[in-house]
Amino acid sequence: MNRRALIAGLAAAGAAVAAGLYRFTDVFVKHHPATPYDDLLTHLPDRDQAKRLGALVKGTPDANALAAQLRGKMPRGLSAAAKADIAAGRLVEVEGWLLPQSMVLLAALAAKS
Amino acid sequence: MSEFVDARTLPAGMVLTPDIAIVGGGPAGISLAMALANNTKLDLLLLESGSANFDPAVQALYTGSQSGDAYAPLEVGRLRTLGGGTNHWGGWSRPLDAIDFEKRDWVPHSGWPFPKAALDAYYPIAQNLIEAGPWIYDKGDSVAAANAPMMPLGEGGLYTSWFQFSKMRGDVVPTRFGARYEGSLKAAANIKPLLNANVTAVRLTPNAQQVDRLDAATLNPEGGIGKRFTIRPRHVVMAAGGMENARLLLASNDVMKAGVGNQNDLVGRFFGDNPIPRNVATLVVFGGKLASYYGSTQTLGEARMRAVFAPTAAFARSKKVMGSLTTLEYPVELDDIGKAAVITAANALGVDASSARAYSVGCGMELLPDRDRRLTLTGETDALGLPRLKLHNIVSDADFALYRQTLAELGRQVLASGAGLLRINCSRREDWLKNMDWGHHHLGTVRMHVDPRQGVVDGDGKVHGIANLFVAGSAVFPTYGASNPTLNLIALTLRLADHLKKVAT
Repeated sequence: MNRRALIAGLAAAGAAVAAGLYRFTDVFVKHHPATPYDDLLTHLPDRDQAKRLGALVKGTPDANALAAQLRGKMPRGLSAAAKADIAAGRLVEVEGWLLPQSMVLLAALAAKS
Repeated sequence: MSEFVDARTLPAGMVLTPDIAIVGGGPAGISLAMALANNTKLDLLLLESGSANFDPAVQALYTGSQSGDAYAPLEVGRLRTLGGGTNHWGGWSRPLDAIDFEKRDWVPHSGWPFPKAALDAYYPIAQNLIEAGPWIYDKGDSVAAANAPMMPLGEGGLYTSWFQFSKMRGDVVPTRFGARYEGSLKAAANIKPLLNANVTAVRLTPNAQQVDRLDAATLNPEGGIGKRFTIRPRHVVMAAGGMENARLLLASNDVMKAGVGNQNDLVGRFFGDNPIPRNVATLVVFGGKLASYYGSTQTLGEARMRAVFAPTAAFARSKKVMGSLTTLEYPVELDDIGKAAVITAANALGVDASSARAYSVGCGMELLPDRDRRLTLTGETDALGLPRLKLHNIVSDADFALYRQTLAELGRQVLASGAGLLRINCSRREDWLKNMDWGHHHLGTVRMHVDPRQGVVDGDGKVHGIANLFVAGSAVFPTYGASNPTLNLIALTLRLADHLKKVAT
């Protein structure tokens, strides 16, 4: 084995390890088990923080109903829905924090998922 | 040139006969005396219970009792020395808003007898007296923006408003009226300032239609009454503060059994102050930095200023809220829930919150007028024989609920601008009361109304039914506003001075 082949092999092995770590561990990025709501939860870049918040949301329906409600509220994504909530005064208090309704419901869904 | 006269040096039983006797040497009394002395030959007697220096025995004349919601001891929020409350004020100055003068259909007993415009001519003079710099309350935004960026608020019910501060530059304290205007009082040939002079009764003529005389006394250094003397003025102006004016009127009950001007059971009622609940909310600023004029006073242009958030008149009308001035105070740390809220909200809005910082939020509130929040006399007397006061204090749940709506709107507006996020820290009554402070602004106890059944004094500050008795100061405010009262009560007093010049000369 010449030197060039050795380096190429090591690089390939390193890439494979990195890909494996990325895909199958939480070293590089947090992985969550697949859920029926991943089309919605993908709008939460930090799902752990959202779950922490969502666990405090009271009076929400079950996950399926919540997801159905959110799919109707977020045709153009979370940011647009949140801004529409703010403009319309649809804010929800979570432990005193005044937050857009869509965001709160999505956080609650994350906590239930 | 009139030197200050110590009433203890007067011959016992002396009778003084000024054109106008002014009872109280605080900001209202001093402003009134100087305004009346200007271009008139009126003989003015300014009666101050204290002297130029604090005296615990004199201050003790103020002690009283209280019931209801906790309030500061009655001798704490006022000072019985020449200059009165300005000897310990913070210099916070802001004109009342136009809506404060209006009859607000959602505020029972609201409405001044005149609009704010009636004070327009007097505000600049009052501003000069408190030495708060040029009148730039309404230009704060442009002056501030040249200094450091303002926090953007989305369109909505609150706007950035501005306090100016009485002569606070460097280590210079706010204007103390006694020390600051001692020279002016002495220089005026027609003002006689009488120190250590306590008015103990307002004596009416038998028909109760005018003041016949004032009974006065000095306080013996060993306790009790020293010398008694009498003032027989043509006109009397009570300028002894929101508590003491009511006390003297109620205690003067030999002719009118309920007290002078109290034929409709209004004297002492409707006591007001500006509650200052601390740490009512937490405001997170996504960008982290906040211009220094939010958290403390700062020299902007030629004035010392501080930014606050105030409800617009349109918001107040539509949501039926009271006045309030919301302040940003000091940095605070977020707990894990707070961090989760910030990260999740910033992500949802697509803004960077990596440098976010949180600040404690405070406020000064306007209370709803309440006739049962009141001062009454007790059976206990002070060293001069005057009945002591009792305050029954009430802050209603509605007061808190209305301000909470205003805070929620502020929270909505900072979200709308993408500038930040707000947590309301107070939900239950005990949350609000836990960190409650007070402005020590004694208001409303001798309220002003054109109808004698609804006010003790009329729109000119004259006690209904009594020809020569007037009241100056914040005691006459029928509604309170959220602005600190000193600038406003001086403007109102200067208006009274113009009226008195017409009726007394």
